[in-house]
Amino acid sequence: MPLGTLDRTPPPFFRQGPSALTKLVFFSALAVFLMVADGRFRIIEPLRSGFAVVLLPIQRTLAVPVSLWESAGDYLRGLDQARQTARRADERLAAQAEKAARVDQLRVENERLRALLELKPAIATRSLAAEVLYEASDPFSRKVFVDRGSTQGVVAGAPVINDAGVLGQVTRLYPLTAEVTLLSDKDAAIPVLNTRTQQRSVAFGGQQLPTGGAMELRFLPANADVKVGDALATSGIDGVYPPGLPVARVAAVERRAESGFARILLEPAARADGVRHVLLLEPVGRQMPPRPAEDAATASRAASAPARGARR
Amino acid sequence: MIMPRGSDQLLLPVNPFFIGLSLLVALAFNLLPAGRHPAQPDLLAVVLVFWNVHQPRRVGVGLAFLFGLLMDVHEGALLGQHALAYTLLSFAAISIHRRLTWFGLAEQALHILPVFFAAHLVSLLVRMVAGGMFPGWWLLLAPVFEALLWPLATLLLLAPQRRAPDPDENRPL
Repeated sequence: MPLGTLDRTPPPFFRQGPSALTKLVFFSALAVFLMVADGRFRIIEPLRSGFAVVLLPIQRTLAVPVSLWESAGDYLRGLDQARQTARRADERLAAQAEKAARVDQLRVENERLRALLELKPAIATRSLAAEVLYEASDPFSRKVFVDRGSTQGVVAGAPVINDAGVLGQVTRLYPLTAEVTLLSDKDAAIPVLNTRTQQRSVAFGGQQLPTGGAMELRFLPANADVKVGDALATSGIDGVYPPGLPVARVAAVERRAESGFARILLEPAARADGVRHVLLLEPVGRQMPPRPAEDAATASRAASAPARGARR
Repeated sequence: MIMPRGSDQLLLPVNPFFIGLSLLVALAFNLLPAGRHPAQPDLLAVVLVFWNVHQPRRVGVGLAFLFGLLMDVHEGALLGQHALAYTLLSFAAISIHRRLTWFGLAEQALHILPVFFAAHLVSLLVRMVAGGMFPGWWLLLAPVFEALLWPLATLLLLAPQRRAPDPDENRPL
């Protein structure tokens, strides 16, 4: 019999190390501590960032076979499908061309009217293109990860959009990636404006529709003027989302007699599944012009004047 | 372990590199961006439990905890959720490992099913308390799939130890 056949280190009789029960108690306590620290106090972000940086090369490598698989599917589905896709894209482009041609003219007109009314000029939003790395497989939340992080200048709370509308918001930053919570997540909330009635409200995520993840308009009275098919856009009063981005469409309205509120379900404008490229916007609140300097100077003078007087 | 435990064959000693490699491959399968479905089986959990049962002195609770943290960061979940689930899984596997190997593969899968079920239940409870969404009843299928993967994992992961100790022309492997 060759030499390597048997395990030549028999199990030790006495030096067994800590028992499995001891380890269970220790590591369970550690896990509970980490959960509380993560959920309540957010004091272990460096640990999380470290793990995320370690995992990133593996995640990028593993995205390669999946994208290859998808492109192979595209290749095999053939010329016909490709032609259809191209024709649909052309149709959409033609539909948007008319709007796009008028946008410049309207922007100039808008600037002039704002100047006439002595309104502040509208804020132009800075943006950063990003690619979706992967969709988190966590079934308890709706999140995706994108390949831009704090080193590329992404800030926490940045709105994330694609060509169809708002997708969500950056909720956690890593050095090279960012976690985006989608609008259909339970914790997501976004202030919206009904474009038909100009009524403001807040849309919350976490509803389950048969068609997928969906949202809900809460706290609207049972006789509120909301119809199926109403388009909702961002209202722009939250200091995060720029105004006018499409958010959702009303999918169902239930007016129940026993409740004072209507139950209004929404279908998000941007479908989050299968999205590849997104745009990270800078939160509007960060682009507000700084406070005028002379105001600050006079205020500080006014504030320090009595102090100086007291010292004398 | 020198004595064959319930199996018909004397196993070769395990290669530690193979354990590490199999765990990393399982982690890679878990990290594959394959969408989100509550009934997805957790391959890493299956492989961890397998090594906990067959090599409890090499793969213990601590390693399970570490892999759990990696999964938490990858999924953007509450840090410690998978770690807690894997810790409990690993402890349960180590406590039943002497009994389990005396049974056949189907009975082993039946033994391991409630363990996986409990691990998913712990994850669910933790996330419900922390304010997550209820993922739907498909979640009940995930432990069933994991238990169904158990015989396959056993065949694959024990294969290197079942090779012939002295390869010749008739038994090249």
